[in-house]
Amino acid sequence: MGVILHKEPELNHPDMFVGWPGIGNIGLIAVDTLRQSVQAEELGEIEPYDFFYPNKVILRGSILTEMEFPTSKFYYKRLANRDLLFFIGEEQPATRETIYAEGARAYEMANLVLDTALRFNCRRIYTCGAAVAITHHQLPPRVWGVANQPDLLKEIRGYPNTILMNEAEGRGNEGSITGLNGLLLGVAKQRGIPGASLLGEIPDYLSRVPVPYPRASQALLETISAVCRLNIKPGILSDMVGQMATVVDNVYGQFPPDIKERLEQRKQVVRPRPEAITEEDQVWLKDHIDDFFKKGDKNA
Amino acid sequence: MTDWLKFYNKPKLRHPTLVVSWQADAGLLGPGVNNYLINKLEGEVFCEIEPADFFPLNGVTIESNLVLFPESRFYAFPEHNLIHFHSAIPRFEWFRYFNLVLDVALEHYKTKEIFTLGGMISLDIHTSPRESWATFNSPKIKRSLSAYHLSRETDFETPPGGRPTLNSFLLWTAKQRGLHGANLWVPVPFYLVGLPDPRGQKTLLEFLDRRITLELDYGDIDRRIREQDARIDDLCKQNPEIDRAINKLDTNQRLNEDERDYLVQEVDRYLRNN
Repeated sequence: MGVILHKEPELNHPDMFVGWPGIGNIGLIAVDTLRQSVQAEELGEIEPYDFFYPNKVILRGSILTEMEFPTSKFYYKRLANRDLLFFIGEEQPATRETIYAEGARAYEMANLVLDTALRFNCRRIYTCGAAVAITHHQLPPRVWGVANQPDLLKEIRGYPNTILMNEAEGRGNEGSITGLNGLLLGVAKQRGIPGASLLGEIPDYLSRVPVPYPRASQALLETISAVCRLNIKPGILSDMVGQMATVVDNVYGQFPPDIKERLEQRKQVVRPRPEAITEEDQVWLKDHIDDFFKKGDKNA
Repeated sequence: MTDWLKFYNKPKLRHPTLVVSWQADAGLLGPGVNNYLINKLEGEVFCEIEPADFFPLNGVTIESNLVLFPESRFYAFPEHNLIHFHSAIPRFEWFRYFNLVLDVALEHYKTKEIFTLGGMISLDIHTSPRESWATFNSPKIKRSLSAYHLSRETDFETPPGGRPTLNSFLLWTAKQRGLHGANLWVPVPFYLVGLPDPRGQKTLLEFLDRRITLELDYGDIDRRIREQDARIDDLCKQNPEIDRAINKLDTNQRLNEDERDYLVQEVDRYLRNN
C-alpha cells in the first residue's frame, strides 16, 4: 500500500492544493476547477484498498470483472510563475461512519500526501474546504484562512476576499477544522511543511443540506487563483451557481417565518455581529432539512 | 502472520473448500447453515480474528437479554475437508480483514475454492422452491460450476450512490490472491428477512453437500420447514388480511406499501411468539 507515481516530473518548489468532499463540496469543487482550468496532468494516486470500501462492482455474464474504489489522485502543472501540485480525493478515509476522516487511517493518508509533497520539494500546502458561518446566502461568501505557522498569517490576510478565522463574526480565538483538511495541516506542521487552510463561507442553516454550494466554491476559487497568480475565467462556475441558487431559494422559502425573519436580519447591516441561529432553530432545521429537499426536488 | 489471528489448533486439512457466511443475513441463512454444519458434522473452532480493529467496540449489543459480541470464527470439518468462516459483519478495515481470512485459507491451508453465502430479498412466498444463483470471480470457477445451473448471465454495474455487497468485495479480494470462488445467493421472502428461513438455508446446504460431499441428514431442517409452514398457515387462518396478502404474492399481484408493512410486522410478531 502506498503512493503509485506514473511519472516523476522535475518541479520547481510547487505549491500543493488539496480538495476532499465535505460540507457543500466547497473545497473539492474549487480545487478541481482550478486543476481543470490549468489542465494539470495526472501524476499518480494513493492505493485505495486499505482506505475505502469499494463504490462499484461490474459483472459481465455473472463474472465479477471489476471493482472500483474512490480515487485519491495527484496532478501537476508546470507554470511560468510557480509549479502546482494538486491532490483530489473522492472520499475521506472515514473509519467511524462519518464522511470526515479520523484516526489511524486518516493520519496514514495525510502522511502519504505529505510524502509526495516532500518528494517534489513542495513549498507550501493549501487545504480547501468550508467555513460554516453566521451569514446569509444572499451575502457574498468570503474566505477564511488559518495557517500552521505564524509567519503565514500576514500573507493570508493579504489574500483577496479573505479574513482570518478569528475575524469572522461570532467567533472567538478558538475553532476547529474537521477531517483531513485540518489533519493534513496539523501533520504538515509536525513535519515542518508550511501550510494554510482556506475555507469558503456557507451559511450555518445550509451546512446540512446535502447539495453542493458553488457560490462559496467560486469565492474560494477566486482566492486560490490569486494565490497562484492565475487569471481563471470569471464566472467559470456560474452555471452551477445559478442552478444551486434555485435549490437554495426553494429550501429557504420553506423555513418557518420566525426563523426566516431572524436570518433576514443578517442582511440588514453590512457585516454586523449577527445573531447565531438558536439551538432550537438548529434542531428544527435538522429535523426538516431532508423534507425541504424532497419537496424542492418535486418543485424543481 | 499477525497477532490478529488467534489459532487454537491446526487441524489437518488438504486443499479445503472455504465457505464464508455472516451473522446478520436475510433469513438468517448464515447462522442457520453454520449451526447445521456444526451440529451435523461436529465442526470445531480452530482460529479467530481479533475484533479490535474491525468492529466498534464501544459497548455491546443486547438481543433477547443476551449480550452479543462480534465474533469472527473459523470452523474446521476435517472429514469433509471444509473450513467454514462465520462472522459478524466487519465495520472497518475490510480489505485487511478479508486478507486475514484469506491468509488462513491460503497461507495455512492452500484452500482450493471459496464460496460466500447470502440472501436476496424476494417477492416469492415462503413455500416457493428456492433456486440459488451465483456470481463468480473467474471464468474457470463458472465453468467448473456449470452443472449446478447457478448462472443467470447477469450484467450489472452498481448504480451511483450504491455500494457493492460485502461478499462481492471479499470475492474480488480472493481473486486478487488467485483464489477462485463464487457468491451464492438464495431468494428470501421479504417477510422472512429478519426471521429464520429454513427453506433458504436448506438450499445452500444442498449446494454445499453436492459440491463437497457432506452427506448431510436433512431430517431436522425438513422438520423446521414443515413447522414454519404450519405456523404461517395458522396465521393465515386467523388473519384473513395476511392470507389475502400471501395469496396476492403467490399470484404475482403487487402489494401496496401498507399491505407489505403489515405482512412483515404480523409474520414477525406471530413467528416470534408462537
